[in-house]
Amino acid sequence: MFEQIVSFVVSLAEQTGLAQLWWGNIFMIIVGAVLVYLALYRKYEPFLLLGIGFSCIVANVPGSDLTQPGGLFYYAYKGVELVIIPPLIFLGVGAMTDFGPMIANPSLMILGAAAHLGIFIALIGAKALGFTLAEAGAIGIIGGADGPMAIFVTMKLAPHLLPQIAVAAYSYMALMPLIQPPIMKLLTSPAERQIVMVQGRSVSRLEKICFPFVMAILVNLLLPPVAPLITMLMLGNMLREVLLVDRLASTAANDLMNVITITLTVAVGSTMEADKFLNIKTLQIIILGLIAFIGGTASGVIGAKIMNWVSGGKVNPLIGSAGIASVPIAARVSHVVGLEENPYNFLIMHAMGPNLAGVFGTAISGGIMLALIGVK
Amino acid sequence: MTVPDTMEGAYILSVIDFFLSFVIIWGMSLVLYLFPYLNKLGYLDDRKLRGGH
Repeated sequence: MFEQIVSFVVSLAEQTGLAQLWWGNIFMIIVGAVLVYLALYRKYEPFLLLGIGFSCIVANVPGSDLTQPGGLFYYAYKGVELVIIPPLIFLGVGAMTDFGPMIANPSLMILGAAAHLGIFIALIGAKALGFTLAEAGAIGIIGGADGPMAIFVTMKLAPHLLPQIAVAAYSYMALMPLIQPPIMKLLTSPAERQIVMVQGRSVSRLEKICFPFVMAILVNLLLPPVAPLITMLMLGNMLREVLLVDRLASTAANDLMNVITITLTVAVGSTMEADKFLNIKTLQIIILGLIAFIGGTASGVIGAKIMNWVSGGKVNPLIGSAGIASVPIAARVSHVVGLEENPYNFLIMHAMGPNLAGVFGTAISGGIMLALIGVK
Repeated sequence: MTVPDTMEGAYILSVIDFFLSFVIIWGMSLVLYLFPYLNKLGYLDDRKLRGGH
């Protein structure tokens, strides 16, 4: 009888997660805990990092089956895999975003292209490491610092790399307040960081209403591969700017966006399972993603320095890094770094122009990439 | 015609993509430079729009 009891206890123990736990799980649980720490104590993008960190921890506790069919994390990931979530995020982002700063100062839009050199540094780096061109393109787009676009392009070019690319893109976006400032300070002088920019003109309601229609037509004409995302961005923005359908705009910007954010962060974090995640390719992608972010930040600042030189000292180079996209995180970083140098210099609205242009810049880069690699 | 899956292809893709990104963004900014002319078509009152339903 005693032997039977022991065998039952052993059998029960084997069915718990403890029996399947390995060092990789423990390592990834620590990674998840670090993300939660950064959100809670350092206030780095808690809306993204809390969900990613929590689901990363839970996904690495063996035995829960949350990431298998029947588990909610599995269905959350399906929303990403089937490219349902990225257009919905763009709908919400459009409904939340005032494109006025970009319309008011179109000359700063060029920074949205300048800050994307990192995409191509990472692309060439990935190809040199032995990835296929399609995989390298998907890895490169991490440098666009636009989560939904990174997911969208990856699903077209290299769906098998989605977990690594989504995690790298969202983690680095959340960690931009850590990544960008040292590069921005390294490439600018204190005098440059103190430049006070002239306030842009006010943009009328008619202009703001026309903007989403014009942009949706232009993007559908010129960049059909990424039209599904930009069209939704413009739809959300149109709902916001017409003022007539405030309930729809509010739902897209708040309730829908909150639901999608929860779903997305859970989906991204739950892909960080140790057995799939801990390999050399992941490490390479994580490093290339960081290089892409650093390269994009640097090229954006250098682009803004050139604009500052051309304009006779009217452009604060700190706004260049915001061209990397990641709305509004990168613009906030420009603003905060500027405030450190001059507490009365409010760069946020100036940085929003390149920041919003960066969304289009990433879409353009992704669209051209899909067309040149031959993906429809 | 697609870019070859080689190192050279990666360089070609990067150069074309980076250059075209500038051209297209520049084109978009040109369109936005024309936006102030829209105001000659008329004026939309925010209060009237909000009260329209």
